[in-house]
Amino acid sequence: MAPKPITSPVPVEWYPSLSVLMLSIGLVLTASFFIYEATSSKRSRSLAKEITIGAVSSFFLGFGSLFLLLATGVYV
Amino acid sequence: MEGIPPRRALILVLVLVVSSLFSVLASSSSSSPSQDVRILSVERRIDLTSFIVRAFLAFKVENTGASDVSEILIAFSPNEAQHLAIVKASTTAGKRKKKAYLPLDVNPIESPKGPNGAQLFSIALPTPLKSGDTAALEVLYVLTHSQEPFPAEISQSESQYVYYRDSALLLSPYHIKEQRTFIKTPSSKVESYTNVSPNNRVGTELRYGPYHDRSPYSHSPILVHFENNNPFAVVEELTREVEISHWGNVQITEHYKLSHAGAHHKGVFSRVEYQARPSISGVSSFKSLLARLPPRVHSVYYRDEIGNISSSRLRSDSLKSELEIEPRYPLFGGWKTTFVIGYGLPLQDFLFESSDGQHYLNFTFGCPLLETVVDRLTIKVSTLQF
Repeated sequence: MAPKPITSPVPVEWYPSLSVLMLSIGLVLTASFFIYEATSSKRSRSLAKEITIGAVSSFFLGFGSLFLLLATGVYV
Repeated sequence: MEGIPPRRALILVLVLVVSSLFSVLASSSSSSPSQDVRILSVERRIDLTSFIVRAFLAFKVENTGASDVSEILIAFSPNEAQHLAIVKASTTAGKRKKKAYLPLDVNPIESPKGPNGAQLFSIALPTPLKSGDTAALEVLYVLTHSQEPFPAEISQSESQYVYYRDSALLLSPYHIKEQRTFIKTPSSKVESYTNVSPNNRVGTELRYGPYHDRSPYSHSPILVHFENNNPFAVVEELTREVEISHWGNVQITEHYKLSHAGAHHKGVFSRVEYQARPSISGVSSFKSLLARLPPRVHSVYYRDEIGNISSSRLRSDSLKSELEIEPRYPLFGGWKTTFVIGYGLPLQDFLFESSDGQHYLNFTFGCPLLETVVDRLTIKVSTLQF
């Protein structure tokens, strides 16, 4: 009947690596979004593609910034 | 008996019955506990080597009544009860080699109080004591603010002397057959002590006793005036904030108001004299405090309103961490200082899930500073649930 210790859902040692990885993926996707916007003309733009790249990049940037805060010691 | 109307006879009989019932009830409740239990011997060791008074009693009690006794009462004078920090009792089980100590529950009794407002505490025995049997008990109690500095004001180069007031006879609701008291002072400089024969003094130990056959609640006040230069560190107010984050960290912030509760410092403070002759100057002052923190502590900081205080050392091993802090100035009698200590701890050491699915926090309540008295403690726990 030993009590089970409660730990974080993600191992604490992964916080810095996870934050760097997710932020870099998110920034790469953000860059690809901007490149897409810059290189496409009014006719060849596709709304679905814009929305998907934006959504996926914001997902990665969001979690990356969460893990960045946790890695620096601001335990939110 | 003739000539009394039947109704009056009935009333008379009723009154007689009711009064006899009352007398039976009164006689059954008047069997006070002091008739049933007798203390065969008690040895009291009072440790005055620190600002905090620790007293250790070893009893042998005997049940002289007819029925089983399931609790033993101990008494404290109203002054002692006000300054009581903790009372613990234990009994030994097993013979010489296999002695094991069983902790016993000690509960205060609100009423009835003893004579002159003495506060009673009840110790629950593990098995009821049968008639004619004896039992051995040990009681530890700790008193705070019980050493009064006298003289109340001293200069920088004087030593600190304090009064300690107690009784040569143990205050007890029971008849005591034999008792002894040993008082240990921090040094052999004892200015004066009350003589209650037979008593003597050997080095740092005062011995009172043995006294034979004393009635319940007997009291013989004694006053010991001795030198005590140990740090009188008192935290007047402590506010602890515990923030639990489910991402794996428990952050604690503690706000301290520390003061020196010994004899007040009068005159000037000469830093030159303090540093040149440390064995004479400032003997009753203290300049560092030790805090015991859990192991695996990280991000420890020590600052006050001015900024960070760098005079601190953290030493940690696998069982505990020790933080030694030095305030910005040494503390003499009556001087105060405020500071903030903060640290972080891993979550899995303190937050657990019990078998019925409830989460609970297992954290220490008190102050991590060693050998200090805390007057007012506020602890705030907050969770940052996601």
